[in-house]
Amino acid sequence: MMALLFDGLVFGLQLSMLAVGLTLIYGLGGVLNLAHGQFATITAITAAVLIRGGSGILTAIVLAVLVAGALALFLDMTLMRPVYRQHGEERVLLSLLLTLGAAFIIDGFLYYYYPLTAFSLRIPVRSVDILGVRMRSGSLVASLIALTVLLGLIAFLRYTRQGKAVRSLIQSEEGAQLCGINPTVIRTGVFVVSGMLAGMVAVTQGLIAAVGPADGIRFTIMALIVTVVGGLGSVSGALLAGLLLGIIYLLSASYVGTFFTFVILLLVAMITILLRPSGLMGRAVAT
Amino acid sequence: MTALRDVPEVASRVDEEKGRYQSLMMSYAPVAAAALVLALVPLMVGGDRFFLRVATLGLAFVGYAIAFNVIFGATGQLFLCLGALAGLSGYTSGILSNDLNVPMLVSMLIGVLLASALGGLFSWISVRRRLDVIFVGIVTLAFSLVFTTTAQATRNLTGGETGMVVLAGSGTALRRSLSSYYIFLAVAIAFLAIYRAMQLSNLGWAFRAIRDDEVAAELAGINVARCKVIAGVVGSAMFGAIGALWVHHEGFLSPQTFAFTHIDVRIIVMLAFGGIGTLFGPIVGAATFTVIDEILRPFGQMRMAFYGVVLIVLFLGFRTGVVPAVTSLSRRIAGSFLDRRNRRDEPRTEPEAETR
Repeated sequence: MMALLFDGLVFGLQLSMLAVGLTLIYGLGGVLNLAHGQFATITAITAAVLIRGGSGILTAIVLAVLVAGALALFLDMTLMRPVYRQHGEERVLLSLLLTLGAAFIIDGFLYYYYPLTAFSLRIPVRSVDILGVRMRSGSLVASLIALTVLLGLIAFLRYTRQGKAVRSLIQSEEGAQLCGINPTVIRTGVFVVSGMLAGMVAVTQGLIAAVGPADGIRFTIMALIVTVVGGLGSVSGALLAGLLLGIIYLLSASYVGTFFTFVILLLVAMITILLRPSGLMGRAVAT
Repeated sequence: MTALRDVPEVASRVDEEKGRYQSLMMSYAPVAAAALVLALVPLMVGGDRFFLRVATLGLAFVGYAIAFNVIFGATGQLFLCLGALAGLSGYTSGILSNDLNVPMLVSMLIGVLLASALGGLFSWISVRRRLDVIFVGIVTLAFSLVFTTTAQATRNLTGGETGMVVLAGSGTALRRSLSSYYIFLAVAIAFLAIYRAMQLSNLGWAFRAIRDDEVAAELAGINVARCKVIAGVVGSAMFGAIGALWVHHEGFLSPQTFAFTHIDVRIIVMLAFGGIGTLFGPIVGAATFTVIDEILRPFGQMRMAFYGVVLIVLFLGFRTGVVPAVTSLSRRIAGSFLDRRNRRDEPRTEPEAETR
């Protein structure tokens, strides 16, 4: 039971890391990025290819995450700029369709060129006992990375000038602009960061299981579920929902099996939307 | 200054007055024309079985695209569970006829009713909860994955990833290539006629008003909730019908048959290309991309990337679609032509109320 809880937390931290980028983008621009999971698969495949090509593991990971960031920058410049020029319903719709297109392009390329490539890392350290529970070292390292990244992100949002700019922009676009904040720059920056966060998820997930080209949609859906349960646009909601859903995932995976776990998570998200569209921590959604 | 005659509502009211002279036949002439052209396709391909199979698949997508046109084109509800709706009906019909010996047509009817009820439920919930397009998208996308995962997991019922063979259709007209083509054609044309009937009815007015501005439509006394649910029910029933027919036509189904990547994206691309909210858009789009899809078949998974590019290009640069573009172009040409000829005689004749 304790072991399940721990594994759930490990998984939950990664879910949080995956969802936090998505929710920030929604908060900033009211748009949804359906290519979010593809940043993770791109990172995984790039790292796997680099490692196969003989580069060191650390350099490969850093380079791969940078590639995800560069891709995010490219997508923001090309696809998201026209999206932000639209307003209201039209903006959301356009963002959904364009990023879906981007997801398909990335998936198509990865399936075609690297159908069998998968990324996984083995850490040559034996398991460690924590509170009487034996934890695999891979899971521990993954959690440490995720925790560091998340704490760093929270500190950034809370204490730095740019972080405050991000939060003010989430609160009110007009107000932020009046204070001399350029929404375009902030949105681009956050989009890049969210891409790199998704890339980090691929890395931490690679410490526990293999990540292949087919996982993109699954990552995106996972991020969507967490985002929705936490409340679209709410960072703290995404963190909380990630941990919660991670535990639910592991519990149900061990009692009813993996297939139905996925169904259960999706149902949780659907029920959240139907009963409380603003999520756990979200503000009332402005229409 | 815009003349009163130019306001679409007024224009169509005037047309309605004129409609006394316009026979019923005239309003359905475009549907009949489409039926005639499509009925000639087997002659053009010379009865070749491979081409007939492809053409039948194309017709199935015409049906899907019309159904999506009813849901998305008419009322702007972004359903991302199109394959799942068709698959729900397909699996229901297949399993009922296989395991419980339910007659094929009855099983298909049950499948259609189920899909229709579910689609209506989605519409009803999203209207009642006043969900944005974003939530409708997420809920339906989530259902899409619930459906695929369940189909994979309930192995003893659906055969899981390996799929299942459906025997009920064997020996019937649904399995022979020529007759199945005409069955799918009949269904597609029936959908087209239903769409046309909706366009011409009060419902069509309401749909157009909702598309333009939902709040304004509500204020104008249109029961937006009712319209959306009707669109959801009718469109989903269409998805169910094609799904069930396809299962018995193929005699085999697996989660891949109705996968999101397989069905939904194609339908969106086809409809966007042909022209959202137009009568002929679904046919133009489905025909074009069925052909392109066959040409690109050797590229395997790369086709996904192609559809991604098309999706982006369509929604970034070519929002109107082919049919409206052609209509407006031909109207402009005809208009300038008429202008030159009738500059003196009479005021420029307004173009005929378009077949939108």
